[in-house]
Amino acid sequence: MSASTISSSFLATALLPSIAQAQSQLSSLEVESTTGQYADIGLQLGDQSGYELSLKNQTDLLQTLTTSNALVKTNLTTTQDALNSILTDAQSAASSLTAWSSGAADAGATLQTLGVNALQSLITTTNTTSNGQYVFGGVNSSVAPMTDYSTAQNTITTAFENYFGFAPTDAAAANVTSAQMQTFLTGTFASLFSGASWTTNWSSASSANQTAQIAPGETIDASSNANQAGFQQLTEAYAMLAGFGGTELSSAAQQEVASTATSLVTQGVSSITGTEAGVGALLTRVTDANTSMSSQTTILQTQIGNLDDVDTTTAATKLNALTTQLQTAYELTAEIQKMGLAQYLPT
Amino acid sequence: MSMSATYNIINSAFLSNAAQSAVISSNVSNANTTGYSREVANIITTADGGSELGSVTREANEALLEQVNSSTSQAASQQALANGLTTLAATVSDSSSSSSTSGSTENGNSPSAMLANLQDALTTYETSPSSASAGQAVVTAADNLVSSLNSGSATVQQVREQADADMASSVSTINSLLNQYSQVNATIVSGLAAGANVDTTEDTRDTILTELSKQIGISTVANPNGSTSIYTDSGVTLFNNTASTLSFTPTQTYTAGTTGNDVTVDGVPITGASSPMPIQSGALAGLANLRDNVAPEYQSQLDQIANGVINAFAESDQSGEVPAAASLPGLFTYAGATSLPTATSATGLAAAIEVNSAVDPTQGGDISLLQNGGINGSAYVYNTTGAAGYTGRIQQMVAATTSTQSFDPSVGLGSSDTLSDYADASVSWLQAQNQQATNQADYQNTLVTQATAALSNATGVSLDTEMTNMLSIENSYTTTAKLLTTVNDMFTALLDAA
Repeated sequence: MSASTISSSFLATALLPSIAQAQSQLSSLEVESTTGQYADIGLQLGDQSGYELSLKNQTDLLQTLTTSNALVKTNLTTTQDALNSILTDAQSAASSLTAWSSGAADAGATLQTLGVNALQSLITTTNTTSNGQYVFGGVNSSVAPMTDYSTAQNTITTAFENYFGFAPTDAAAANVTSAQMQTFLTGTFASLFSGASWTTNWSSASSANQTAQIAPGETIDASSNANQAGFQQLTEAYAMLAGFGGTELSSAAQQEVASTATSLVTQGVSSITGTEAGVGALLTRVTDANTSMSSQTTILQTQIGNLDDVDTTTAATKLNALTTQLQTAYELTAEIQKMGLAQYLPT
Repeated sequence: MSMSATYNIINSAFLSNAAQSAVISSNVSNANTTGYSREVANIITTADGGSELGSVTREANEALLEQVNSSTSQAASQQALANGLTTLAATVSDSSSSSSTSGSTENGNSPSAMLANLQDALTTYETSPSSASAGQAVVTAADNLVSSLNSGSATVQQVREQADADMASSVSTINSLLNQYSQVNATIVSGLAAGANVDTTEDTRDTILTELSKQIGISTVANPNGSTSIYTDSGVTLFNNTASTLSFTPTQTYTAGTTGNDVTVDGVPITGASSPMPIQSGALAGLANLRDNVAPEYQSQLDQIANGVINAFAESDQSGEVPAAASLPGLFTYAGATSLPTATSATGLAAAIEVNSAVDPTQGGDISLLQNGGINGSAYVYNTTGAAGYTGRIQQMVAATTSTQSFDPSVGLGSSDTLSDYADASVSWLQAQNQQATNQADYQNTLVTQATAALSNATGVSLDTEMTNMLSIENSYTTTAKLLTTVNDMFTALLDAA
């Protein structure tokens, strides 16, 4: 008898726990069907939360790198443009030199103008900035890498005077033979443009390039520097033209200057071309890194989605089913309250 | 048999009808009283063929009550733990308001996410080392990491303080219930000895037991004299003829190193590591577990992360002198730091960690020390040439979060890991604990609902049954009254004839 008894108070309240449960599920499902993600992702994932977090952190890092790569790319492109401009100038200087040598040599004023213009152009281009940083400065990016010509000019003149005992503009300079000039140019003069003399006289750049991380674990030299051979050779060539062209030097000596300069410009062009190719390769690496990070991001986001996302259709369907269930529970509760023997007894 | 004997039988029928009606009335009036057990009037035949009320039985079901009480204890314990863990988990939880399709970076406020943000800021800084705004972004990210650790640690201690206060109120509830129980039990024992009906009092006693089991896991033993002894689920006596008293001294303020006081029963601790018989269930057990084990374990993890962060960003001696000076705290330090902390002496670091004022412009610091080193003086300068594009130190810091470090293995997340993996593992640990406790609490609450339903069905009042019984008694009354009239008529006929 007692086994089949249903307590009236239980009967009246039987559906209350399931109504409360349905209501709490309802609020979660509302969030899920709207956002497409679990209402409480941490509670849902439990010990996978850390994994999900690390995936999100990786995605963030990739995005940060992609953003900072834009800056790296700008710097490299600026570097590339500057190198291009230096190359163009050098090639035009080379052809002017050839024309001068083969043509009726004037007093050499052409040589000097050529040298001064080319040198100023080289200095300006080498001092190119990108985002406020000197692109050829190496890590010493806050200081203009190349010293202005006016200060260096004294160094050249002084070197000549110390070597020959008179200035190139002195009438005595006409007696300098082409052999003497060659010895001076390849010896004393050349040493001004290499090693420690280069950084003392001409360059404030650091030989260490700036580095940048372009992908997780992938670091590249993201700048160039003006201490490379190409810059030294071109500067040397332009400086000798500017310093000795149009002076009192004999025509033969000036011819020697022109031919030495031509060979230096040729070497410089090949050296700068190599640097430019290197910068181009770096640009390609940055682009490749961006492509690979973009596909990695897609993969990571798919994985995050697998953990976080709920099917909105399923959530919406569940929401409907739950609403129906809740309504049924309300109706049943009301109906059950009406049921009772006392209601049906004659009064 | 005499006619007067018939009167006696009819009289007894009226009396037993009345007694049954009284029981039914009592049942109906208590139909919705929680803890009321249905009563049944047992009518027996008297020697002269009449009927009388033999006894009133209380339809109690001790087994089901025991079931309700034990699942109530389990549910209360898990619920207390789950409530605390939900508060803790909120400090690391994802924000679900963000949409994954937009590639959102809403990773919540966990140390792990803040650490990743710091790494992102450093990566950007590496590309623009001379940019003050990129440096400022690093300091801001460092500030966020510090406040994540600080507030995480503060939340842990708040949870512990709340648990401690809840334990105090639980202990006073238990003491008050035990006193009530003592009085009710005494009434039952003396009532039974005097042969009185103690059914209502027994209902009260069962209700007290259910209330008690919300606070502390109990088991009961019935004694022959009607008294019931109460023991904790671990076997410590709570009531045996007299009530024991639970003692607890609350602790107002918690820090990482604080150990809360144990709850004792007559001097025997029933919570804490030193307890020979620790209680297993009830809100008190859940709160003690939260306060003494779960929350401190998470605090230790935060302390280990803080220690890892300070060490990862430490500056080492660059002067090249032999012997080299000790490495000192760099970007991150802690109040009163004179040396680097170690993994085994990290207690309370999560609350003490701060961004070094030497690099924080808002505190008069110099951001360039981040790029060049030298927070601890000229011997610690990395960028000796002062080049504006120097990134060597920044690169070291970028790599710092992903290089392997030592952690205290007693904390439970391993002894060697990268800082970011360790921080991730900590989030996993917390969310797993939260998930488990929440699921257990849901499960135990369902069991309570089911056990309560079973108990209610076994011992509760069915109005329909009572109504049916009432109709049957009504019919019996009508018939008895008819019988009385008939016998009376017979007597009248007999007397008229005479």
